[in-house]
Amino acid sequence: MEPLYAELEEGEMELPAEPMHLNMGPSHPAMHGTIRIVLDLSGETIVRADVQVGYLHRGFEKMCERGTWAQVFPYVDRLNYVSPMLNNVGYALAVEKLCGLAVPDRCQWYRMILGELARLSDHLTCNGAMAMELGAFTPFLWLIKAREMVWDILEEETGARLTHSFGRIGGMANPPTADFKGLCRATLPKILGLVEEGEKMLLKNRIFMDRLENVGRISGAEATALGWTGPCLRSTGVAYDIRKAHPYLKYDEVDFDIPVGTKGDTLDRFLVRLGEIRQSKRIIDQALERMPDEGPISCDDPRFVLPDKGGVYTTIEATIQHFKLIMEGAKVPKGEVYSYTEAGNGELGYYLVSDGTGTPYRVRIRPPCFQITGGLSKLLEGRMLSDIVPTFGALNMIGGECDH
Amino acid sequence: MPTFKLDGKPIPFDAGDTIIKAAWKQGIEIPHYCWHAGLSAPANCRMCLVEIPPKPGARPVTLDVLEWDAKAGTYRTTQKPKLQPSCYTAAAEGMEVLSDSSEHVRKARRDVQEFLLLNHPVDCPICDQSGECKLQDYWLEHGRYQKRMRDEPVHKPKGVVFGPTIVYDGERCVMCTRCIRFMAEVAKDPVLDMRERGNLNEIFVAPGRQLDGHYTFMTEHVCPVGALTTKDFRFKARVWFLRTAAAVCQGCATGCNAHLDYDPRYNKAYRYRPRDNEKVNQFWMCDEGMLTYKEAHDGRVVQPKVRGKETSSARAMEEAKALFANINKDSVAFVFSAAHSVEDNWMLREVGATFFGSASLYMSGAAEGYEDRILIHRDKNPNTAGVRQLAPSAKPFQTLVEDVARGSITHIIALGGVAPSVASQALGGATIITVAAHEGPLTAAATVLLPATSWAEQSGTYVNAKGIKQVSEKALEPLGASRPAWRQLADLAVALGYEVSTTSLKQLRLKAIGGTIPEPLGSSRVTTSAD
Repeated sequence: MEPLYAELEEGEMELPAEPMHLNMGPSHPAMHGTIRIVLDLSGETIVRADVQVGYLHRGFEKMCERGTWAQVFPYVDRLNYVSPMLNNVGYALAVEKLCGLAVPDRCQWYRMILGELARLSDHLTCNGAMAMELGAFTPFLWLIKAREMVWDILEEETGARLTHSFGRIGGMANPPTADFKGLCRATLPKILGLVEEGEKMLLKNRIFMDRLENVGRISGAEATALGWTGPCLRSTGVAYDIRKAHPYLKYDEVDFDIPVGTKGDTLDRFLVRLGEIRQSKRIIDQALERMPDEGPISCDDPRFVLPDKGGVYTTIEATIQHFKLIMEGAKVPKGEVYSYTEAGNGELGYYLVSDGTGTPYRVRIRPPCFQITGGLSKLLEGRMLSDIVPTFGALNMIGGECDH
Repeated sequence: MPTFKLDGKPIPFDAGDTIIKAAWKQGIEIPHYCWHAGLSAPANCRMCLVEIPPKPGARPVTLDVLEWDAKAGTYRTTQKPKLQPSCYTAAAEGMEVLSDSSEHVRKARRDVQEFLLLNHPVDCPICDQSGECKLQDYWLEHGRYQKRMRDEPVHKPKGVVFGPTIVYDGERCVMCTRCIRFMAEVAKDPVLDMRERGNLNEIFVAPGRQLDGHYTFMTEHVCPVGALTTKDFRFKARVWFLRTAAAVCQGCATGCNAHLDYDPRYNKAYRYRPRDNEKVNQFWMCDEGMLTYKEAHDGRVVQPKVRGKETSSARAMEEAKALFANINKDSVAFVFSAAHSVEDNWMLREVGATFFGSASLYMSGAAEGYEDRILIHRDKNPNTAGVRQLAPSAKPFQTLVEDVARGSITHIIALGGVAPSVASQALGGATIITVAAHEGPLTAAATVLLPATSWAEQSGTYVNAKGIKQVSEKALEPLGASRPAWRQLADLAVALGYEVSTTSLKQLRLKAIGGTIPEPLGSSRVTTSAD
């Protein structure tokens, strides 16, 4: 076959010296969600990386402002859809803060356990997927197998594997199932076993370690300046965890440590998540001990909490309560609130404004991923093209959270 | 102005005002079922009880009560202040009244609410009042308890037909007697009363009579619960889907203020409710007026027509232009409509008097009818006074018929289709362009017919018999190809070769009325202000 450039002059056969443009995404097998990175490459070195979120745009906050306060729950499930329970509980806490509601102890422990299970799901997915994107398919299967176990518990409790919509203003949709504690106690060691096996396959693998170590480094000061929170910030050595710094629910009553990294590189982020998986288990173990088996799961305020269904069908009082809450929505007192919790990727904040009606006047969401993704280009510039996949993977960007 | 203190807040009052009325005037609601600002006060629902602490040095009026002491597991005797009905207690200078801030008042409201719902059926899902029901509102505000009674509730007659318009449900009734008092005090027809005692109480119609007359809808309107429903609105819509516009009733020259409730999803009007206006209709409307919301849809002109055949707007305009080419300007008549707004009529005057320089001005409108001394006016047009102000020289419609017959008028530009009952053939000799929202003799006789929006689809000003200018707000989107009549007339003027300077409703209103229109009341929310 004739070479394609047969007719060209010799001088024109030089490799181009101009930087090459390359689009990663918005649809790419190694990119989570729809995000696009426009790269300027000099050879294989990244000169400039322009990270563009916004390909997934649902008008998320505006959707939340259409229905009643309670109808926001299914929407927040779809923020970080790998750990929807954390979003649910975060939103419930925000509305409860605005209403001045205090949920029963049993509910607080229950929320903590479900939330930590969701965190397990989040970290298992992130670490597993990152390994897979680097070609390590087996550890992925190990970690996802563990995640399936988490989801089995959540399905048992909520009826849904992924988007549970289980939170309620002033409580949870249902009390824990009879075998909840037993199921957790039986499953958690298995999950930890799978994690150990999975990490053994990776952390002793020279190729894997080389691709992570010293890749995508960032200092604590820079990360803080970017507004990073969660495991990504902690990988830089900054021990900031909202569960410790501003405890909510019962986090001040349980013992757990904050795993931190030292270098702020991709390996640290991977290790911090592995560490947090073990801390979450510690928290769940303690919470399981302390969660009462009896008692109400929701608080007893007819202004916010739905009545018992049996009563709705037989008594006028419960019918009225149900009608008012469903048709008009809970009347959240006029005011504004910012409430924040530690979600899978960091600080998940809800800024809510109520005009006193049954519909939120403003729902502003501060998802952790949005800020973290904002730092991606900084991590990539000057690195090699092949570093994008582990760096991006370890940030655990979730498309649903970057809907801005 | 003398004042008293309600929960520490000074409330001014007029001599003779009760506590609840003085507070209501300040926009503060003391919960109530039986009291209504436009009716007498029987003080029988006990929901408006307030605590009036004794003056310094005076002996407190107290009641002995038994209170359950949960710790000791026994009842103990204690005392509580005797509460007063605020709808029956006259306000007095310097009086201290405790409403929301009194623990005894809050408990009394809760207990009253529990009694009222004791035998209430589980009807919310099938009740028309659902969503605007005082029982629902007050249960959440003041009740918030769950049912304690385990017995079968008392059953009473349901679906009792009271008359041609009203259906009664005894189980939902809280015996506030508002309907009884309305019929006796406002409609002056004491046809309703109450029978039996205690939880067997029910409202009934005087034997040999039915609930009829011209003000039956108001019994449903004053009913704070779902006991009385109108046959017209029953099971038609759920109120939380309705939006409301501040409208002016088009039924007669009284110009009653109304809420026009419509469903934006279907662009359909469902009912009128009276809108309080002390100067016009107080809190009331008549039955005939309450039903005129239907005219937003019934008998409407929605397509342009040329000689009775539907066509496009552009074709109709071309035809109008052709018909009016090379004619004698003196033989053109202009017919104002008392059924259309000041804005519409102003544009017709612009076309007729200003552009054509015509002096052949006439006026159409519905024929006169029944009147009474309460609200109903003899003149069945909403804007007769407005047209009189715009065109004082406009001649009656009968003169137009005569002038056409004599041959002095050959061409007519008419606003509005409604005219006194003359056969449409009477105008057969003339070439007529009619811009109208509703069908009538003038639309039947029209050579070119241009569809106009009704009062419900366009904000417009109407002058009632007392000379009060009132704005009726837009509720629905225009039906079919209809457009505001003033726009159709402006386009017609352009087609006939004139230049129209006014292209916005705001400008037009400034010119037509001089910009001194009262702000319309109401909002886009369903509210029951006088309840």
